[in-house]
Amino acid sequence: MAIDKKMKILIVDDFSTMRRIIKNLLRDLGFTNTEEADDGNTALPMLQTGKFDFLVTDWNMPGMQGIDLLKNVRADAKLASMPVLMVTAEQKREQIVEAAQAGVNGYIVKPFTAQTLKEKLDKIFERIDG
Amino acid sequence: MEQQNNLLSPESIAMVKQLLVSMEDGDLEKAQDYVDDLAEVRENVMYQEIGKLTRELHDSMNNFALDDRLSDLAEDEIPDARQRLAHVITMTEEAANNTLAAVEESLPLCDDVLTTTQSVEDEWKRFSNRELTLTEFKTLSETLKIYFETNSNNASKINANLTQVLMAQGFQDLTSQIIKRVITLVEEVETNMVSIIQLAGSKSKDTDVKKNKNENYLDGPVVPGLESSGTVSGQDEVDDLLSSLGF
Repeated sequence: MAIDKKMKILIVDDFSTMRRIIKNLLRDLGFTNTEEADDGNTALPMLQTGKFDFLVTDWNMPGMQGIDLLKNVRADAKLASMPVLMVTAEQKREQIVEAAQAGVNGYIVKPFTAQTLKEKLDKIFERIDG
Repeated sequence: MEQQNNLLSPESIAMVKQLLVSMEDGDLEKAQDYVDDLAEVRENVMYQEIGKLTRELHDSMNNFALDDRLSDLAEDEIPDARQRLAHVITMTEEAANNTLAAVEESLPLCDDVLTTTQSVEDEWKRFSNRELTLTEFKTLSETLKIYFETNSNNASKINANLTQVLMAQGFQDLTSQIIKRVITLVEEVETNMVSIIQLAGSKSKDTDVKKNKNENYLDGPVVPGLESSGTVSGQDEVDDLLSSLGF
């Protein structure tokens, strides 16, 4: 099944530069329908409107951190099945394991390449389709 | 004051009265005893005070020496901070070099697009005005074929270079995370300096130095050369770890 390039993606990062980078990379890959939020507290109500199909989030943010946002998403019956890709500078093994246990669908460490983002997205969609 | 209180206590006053009586009686031995007793009262008070000061000094020195956070700061975290800041310089330098390289490679490509377009445009105008001979038209069609190929190549190279510029901006996020950590460290050093000054300047009552790292503390970007136990070294290791977890 082809990936729906029209899907709505929420990009959550406290740094606007990183949000712009991810937004532009996604646009390059054909995903033009994106919105941004600067931490979990802003992101969660946006997600709860039910408008989004995919979540890309940082971990370390003021307010609600990415890992807590992920846990909240998984705990919300309406959002539980939403694919979540984490893009973060946190690279402790225990953190990666924690994210995996919390139900993350992909984990990218910064600094990353456009190719890595593409691969992880492809992999996530492959799994969803399969 | 305790010393004065003791010296002015009814017992001391009684001693002085008895001293006076024994002196008037001409009893030298007794008078001497009373003088000794009085001196002892004064000395006791003084020793007590010295003892108290010694204990306070001792406790303060002990607290000071036992405060691991201080030695951590001096031995590990300040050198760490130096290395972190040096890493920030490296990252900003890399970002600047990557950006400049991409721009330098793209500018001639843009020039190329411009000049080839102009040359084809002239021939194209002549073609539109039906001024071209058949041979010239064949040449033009060959030129156009090359032009399309070149420009399509140039466009994808420029696109790749612009993506490189885009990715290079990631340094802002990562360096800010590192700099924020160093700022936190500087604040902590400042707090500790203040309490050292309090300790040295007067009997410190306020020893509530912020000793422990913030609970919400995350490690942030790994800095090369700094101890980073339990971390992965890059995306490949993240992938390996996740696939070992069944991803």
